[in-house]
Amino acid sequence: MVPVENYLALSGILFAIGVYGVLARRNAILVLMSIELMLNAVALNFVAFAVFMDPEQITGAVVAVFVITVAAAEVGLALAIVIRYFRMRATSNIDEAAALKW
Amino acid sequence: MAVEVLWWLFAILIVGTALGVVVSRSVIHAAIFLLVALAGIAGMYVFLTVEFLALVQLLIYGGAVAVLVLLALMLTRQATGGERISLNGPQAPFAAIAAIGLAAILVASAVVTTWPRLVDDPDAVPLGRISEVLFEDFGATFILVSILLLVAVVGAIILARQEDAE
Amino acid sequence: MGAEQAWLLAAIPAAIFLVLALVGRYLPRQGDWLAVLAIGASFVLFFVVLVDFLTTGDGLGPFTRAIEWTQIGEFELTMGIFVDPITIVMMGVITTVSLMVTVFSIGYMKGEPRYFWYFAVLQGFAASMLLLVLADNLLLVYVAWELVGVSSFLLIGFYWERRSATEAAKKAFITTRIGDVGLLIGIILLWREAGTFSIQEIIAFAQAGGYGDTYLLIASIAVFLGAIGKSAQIPFHVWLPDAMEGPTPVSALIHAATMVVAGVYLVARLLPMFEVVDGMLLIITIVGLATALMTGIIAIAQTDIKKVLAYSTVGQLGFMFIALGAGYPDVAMFHLMTHAFFKALLFLGSGSVILATHHNQEMDKLGGLWRKMPITGTTFLIGSLALAGLPPLAGFWSKDEIWVVTDGAWGGWATVLFGIAAFLTAFYTARLFIRTFMGKPQDEHVFEHTHESPSVMTLPLIFLAILSVVSGLVVFNEVGTALGFPGGITEFVFLAEPHVYSIDWTFAGASLAVAAIGIFTGAWFYWRGRLDRSTAVASWQPALYDMARNKFYWDDMYQAGIDRGLLGFSYIVSWFDRYVVNDTGVDGTAQTTGYAGFILKHIQTGKVPNYAMAITLGIIVLALAGLAVRG
Repeated sequence: MVPVENYLALSGILFAIGVYGVLARRNAILVLMSIELMLNAVALNFVAFAVFMDPEQITGAVVAVFVITVAAAEVGLALAIVIRYFRMRATSNIDEAAALKW
Repeated sequence: MAVEVLWWLFAILIVGTALGVVVSRSVIHAAIFLLVALAGIAGMYVFLTVEFLALVQLLIYGGAVAVLVLLALMLTRQATGGERISLNGPQAPFAAIAAIGLAAILVASAVVTTWPRLVDDPDAVPLGRISEVLFEDFGATFILVSILLLVAVVGAIILARQEDAE
Repeated sequence: MGAEQAWLLAAIPAAIFLVLALVGRYLPRQGDWLAVLAIGASFVLFFVVLVDFLTTGDGLGPFTRAIEWTQIGEFELTMGIFVDPITIVMMGVITTVSLMVTVFSIGYMKGEPRYFWYFAVLQGFAASMLLLVLADNLLLVYVAWELVGVSSFLLIGFYWERRSATEAAKKAFITTRIGDVGLLIGIILLWREAGTFSIQEIIAFAQAGGYGDTYLLIASIAVFLGAIGKSAQIPFHVWLPDAMEGPTPVSALIHAATMVVAGVYLVARLLPMFEVVDGMLLIITIVGLATALMTGIIAIAQTDIKKVLAYSTVGQLGFMFIALGAGYPDVAMFHLMTHAFFKALLFLGSGSVILATHHNQEMDKLGGLWRKMPITGTTFLIGSLALAGLPPLAGFWSKDEIWVVTDGAWGGWATVLFGIAAFLTAFYTARLFIRTFMGKPQDEHVFEHTHESPSVMTLPLIFLAILSVVSGLVVFNEVGTALGFPGGITEFVFLAEPHVYSIDWTFAGASLAVAAIGIFTGAWFYWRGRLDRSTAVASWQPALYDMARNKFYWDDMYQAGIDRGLLGFSYIVSWFDRYVVNDTGVDGTAQTTGYAGFILKHIQTGKVPNYAMAITLGIIVLALAGLAVRG
């Protein structure tokens, strides 16, 4: 059995890669994809912890189900916003959406 | 032993495709990398003996979300066509430094910490209990998440609808 | 119905005040009859209370009745009435003079604008004043004290179209307020140690030595400041002559007979407490004597008849304080009563003159009015002689009593000074009467249009003239007994023990002589309208004359004090406020903030990745900090 540290390290690396994507990418859909990576990292973390440390071993899986559900909802809404934005500005670059300032 | 080798292969696959997602110069490639990475995570769930979750992961992420992303990509294809604009923003180098730092912190704390082992036999996750826990212990949360999903779907429809005025 | 319903005396005018103030404008005759009815009811009720007080209970013990008002922690606040002989005398004076003035006002104020408002405030004043004398605790006294102050303010400023009237109203209000602050401080000091506002309990506490010597001295002086503010004694006397800007009946009621004696009443009420303090009585005496002497000199040089009467009032109040300083509240109350009657008479008489001569109150333009206004003239003469102190008029008996007790308390110097003040009183009174009513008319035009006032005004004059003649006689044991009192007024109103009146022939003779000499001197100077002798005196000592004419420069002193001290200080404060508080403190911080914002706003790029970067860096820093703490 692969020890828990491996899973946690993998999850951490995955999360960091997601963070890099969110910070570096300027296309809104790529940013969303990076967020998906981060969410998956978190879900994996939950499941790993649950399997190794929860006597029930199952709570983590349930939380992961919720994470996946919420992620699906979030992706649906976010993509709708992106499409809307694209229709308005003919671009999906988030750094062009800079009206929220002084 | 064979399992561990396989695990490492999967881990390398996931990390590699995830890196592909964030560094690829083509959005379509990035989407395909994401699909593979998510499938790899499903494999990880199998290693953790939570096969049900692996199934859910493949169905929702590998199916629905990936398709949705690809659809959105097509809908927002730049009109300029041939001209390639950089997919990375100006702060990408700083983002790399920050991400490496974050990864270092996370991996270091994962490795250094002595984790308690409460479960004697992690190989036998009682999957049959998942529905019990989901519907009994997390019943209210389940309903709330259902409502959230409904609202999100309706909201997405309203947002993305082509209005007559436009 | 009896003494326990004495609060009705104040409640009825208070209710009528509300009615008149709210709907008086729409009532027939603007509701003046309602005012007369209300104060008349109080006047009648006063006799009911008086009879009840004299006939029931264990003789003349004070009557008190209180209700619990509120409870704050351990402290119970009660509100109630307290009726004792001092209250009875005050109530009698207030209701009588109020009734006379209200009736007189019907004639005097005829056709004036805001007629209903005048009567409303008059009722409000009567209610407040009655509440003041009925109150059994200092808190209620203070409330009523301020209420009479407000009434006074409103009535002085009744002709608010005239700038001088509003100025006078403000001056009166602010000057008395300065004293009132002292009163409030005094009340709080007294309450702090005794834990009660009740006057009788505070007196008992003081007599039992509950207060420290210095503490009680400070508290007493603070209370006394309030008293001399209201009673216009030095150095607070400056407001009263200016208060003559109000309608003349108001001057009669408020600024001669009732409100200004509130200070005398308060000191009389608290005299047992003052007696505990070493030197307090001396302070009271000195203030009273200084006021009486100075205002006597000032009054000689004034030509406005109301101003003369105003200074005379201040002086007579000084007499009352002298009596209090000698430790005789009974004598002070006696003089208060007689003075209220004859001074109200004089003011109403002057009001009658002013109305008849179409608002002319300068002596230089009057003269010879007796022929034209026989009733006013005669009653005014009676009032003047009472003020001057000729027997058997009221003023003689009370003033004589003060002289006697002064001698008993302080000896030679006070007696001599009082004699001089009494002489001055007689002198300026004679001058006032002779120059107004006798001799040749100074201004034919004014003289020709003069006529006697209507009976609604002369009747109160006659009534008050009768009181001015006979009210002094209550000092006699036989008169008091005949009226149902236990004896003369000094046996009715007392604090420690009654003293039976007996004529001290030395002082009676001296008193008569002083009054006679004063009147004669006045007559010698001004008889038949001649002014050459007085002019000669004035030019012989011009500095002295100017000093008296300019009221000893009190107003100028205050003005200079305000100009130099207050305005100078205000200038510094305003400079500090403008440049330090405002420019540096308020604007400075605002500008610093604004400038910092101007610089720092560039951090806000509006680009989401930048914000996400900030969040990430924050998390990294927090994680590192967490690791560092954990080791």
